Amino acid sequence: MKERINRSVLLTVLALLLAAPWLLPAVGFDYWLDILAEILIWSLFAASVNLLFGYVGLLSFGQALFFGMGMFGVAIGVAKLGLGFWPALGLGMVVAVATAAVAGALAVRLTWHYFAIITVVFSLIFYFIALSAKPLTGGDDGTSFSMPPMLTLGESELSLTDQTVQYLFILLVVGFAFFVKYLIVRSPFGMALMAVRENDVRASLIGLNVYFLRWIAFVVAGGFAGLAGCLFALFGRYASATYMFYHVSGEGVVWTIVGGAGTLFGPAIGAALLIVVREELSNMWEHYPILVGIVVILTVIFAPKGLMGMWNALLDRLASPSADGTKKDEGPREAIETAVAPVKGEAGP
Amino acid sequence: MLEVHDLHASYGKVEVLRGVSLKVGDGEIVGLLGRNGVGKTTTLKAIMGLVRASAGRATFDGVDLTGLAAHKVPAQGIGYVPQGRGIFPNLTVEENLFLGLRQVPSAKQRALVFDRFPQLKDRMDQKGGTLSGGEQQQLAIARCLVMQPKLIILDEPTEGIMPILIKEIRSEIRKINRAGVSILLVEQNLVTAFKICSSIYLMEKGAIVHRSSAADLKTQPDVVHRYLGMAA
Repeated sequence: MKERINRSVLLTVLALLLAAPWLLPAVGFDYWLDILAEILIWSLFAASVNLLFGYVGLLSFGQALFFGMGMFGVAIGVAKLGLGFWPALGLGMVVAVATAAVAGALAVRLTWHYFAIITVVFSLIFYFIALSAKPLTGGDDGTSFSMPPMLTLGESELSLTDQTVQYLFILLVVGFAFFVKYLIVRSPFGMALMAVRENDVRASLIGLNVYFLRWIAFVVAGGFAGLAGCLFALFGRYASATYMFYHVSGEGVVWTIVGGAGTLFGPAIGAALLIVVREELSNMWEHYPILVGIVVILTVIFAPKGLMGMWNALLDRLASPSADGTKKDEGPREAIETAVAPVKGEAGP
Repeated sequence: MLEVHDLHASYGKVEVLRGVSLKVGDGEIVGLLGRNGVGKTTTLKAIMGLVRASAGRATFDGVDLTGLAAHKVPAQGIGYVPQGRGIFPNLTVEENLFLGLRQVPSAKQRALVFDRFPQLKDRMDQKGGTLSGGEQQQLAIARCLVMQPKLIILDEPTEGIMPILIKEIRSEIRKINRAGVSILLVEQNLVTAFKICSSIYLMEKGAIVHRSSAADLKTQPDVVHRYLGMAA
């Protein structure tokens, strides 16, 4: 039953997302299409935080670095190197993944708060490099660019300058990335990551190379963050060092915690909720982050598994043992997805 | 098979192992006994690469284990069931069992587990942490078996297990051994050690102080009392 409900909700949300470019203008909310696109991009960014935190137990405050690298890869590719749409997107990804590979080789030797600190340090180093490398990055001003066409067929061009095309492109890419993440967490590799999250010593005793697994996860998560950065650069036609700062990573962590770490869609829900709160409240009350802070504190205290955890618990209760003691329905995967609290052990995260 | 020769290891400045030497031959069940804190678990950890040996060697079928990273030791054919079972409580029984395989388990690997521990088959979707202590121990041993090891190292498998289940665990260890798997057993439960071990090493202050067959040790109550503080 739980799986059926979750599948129905997912399909409904997907249908609504696909129909949004036609639904929103029809009800007079054209502006919200861009916000929806932004939510999708930040969901992917939160998914990157979540892959490390929720599935490997590594709390990274440095994902903004790879997001920024993706942004600058695209912006510099188009504005400085004169690349087309796809090569610039490829450059953004290569830069982000390569940075993650190098930073990860050093960072994943550490765990716990040491890992969190080194990711902040990496983020700060590259933030200041980006600020000072003005000829390349534009320094404080950032780098703007004109959108190159995505596809040219004779006279006609397909470009992200069209709001609907832009939204659908972002939806397609983010959807594909979430599908890849789904495949990853359900693969033997994903299982191994969860074993490392639970207890790295025990994981090594069954032959899992903990360092290598953490490094691969770090690089993949860097790739997700980089892809989000590429999309954000294309969305805003702009790249700025501001997005490499660790407070951006912090937002990703907050979205992940509120939505539910260790669940596939929890961070997306967290990002959606808090971005909507921001959009609705920021014009009315400049101190709206106080409200966000209160939401986070309440979540950590009363729903440590986040909104997805609450949702799963609700469904579990509905599917709880009936009067005759038999279980109605329970998938093993959901049990894992709700079980993200690290084990207190000799080497738990 | 497993040969540990003059193994030394320290935690910081404290030397915990002071020249441990022992052997586990093909098809043997060897017991390693001693009071708490004498270095039994550290010996196992040094063999498994979790504690770096400062001197001496541990070899398995001629391969030097001493410099190997912990994750490379199981591939040599050694399974390890740590003290306190060492399962992953938030993963399901199925995931616990087949984690180390890195691929979908074959029918043979599944049969290997379910023929020996049929009750686990009914609990595949249950989280490991929700099993009873005895079932968790069975799960931990079954997880080792999936890897088809030549030697299984068991660290106090009967610790915290209901007395009624200890006999069952003992019987399983014997069956596994009869199937050709050697066992190195660290145990506080003297009855278990006497019943299933062919030879027994006694440890004190980080060194082996006595070695004999289980049958011989039974006839030396003074030795048992001196090193284990209990009657044989």
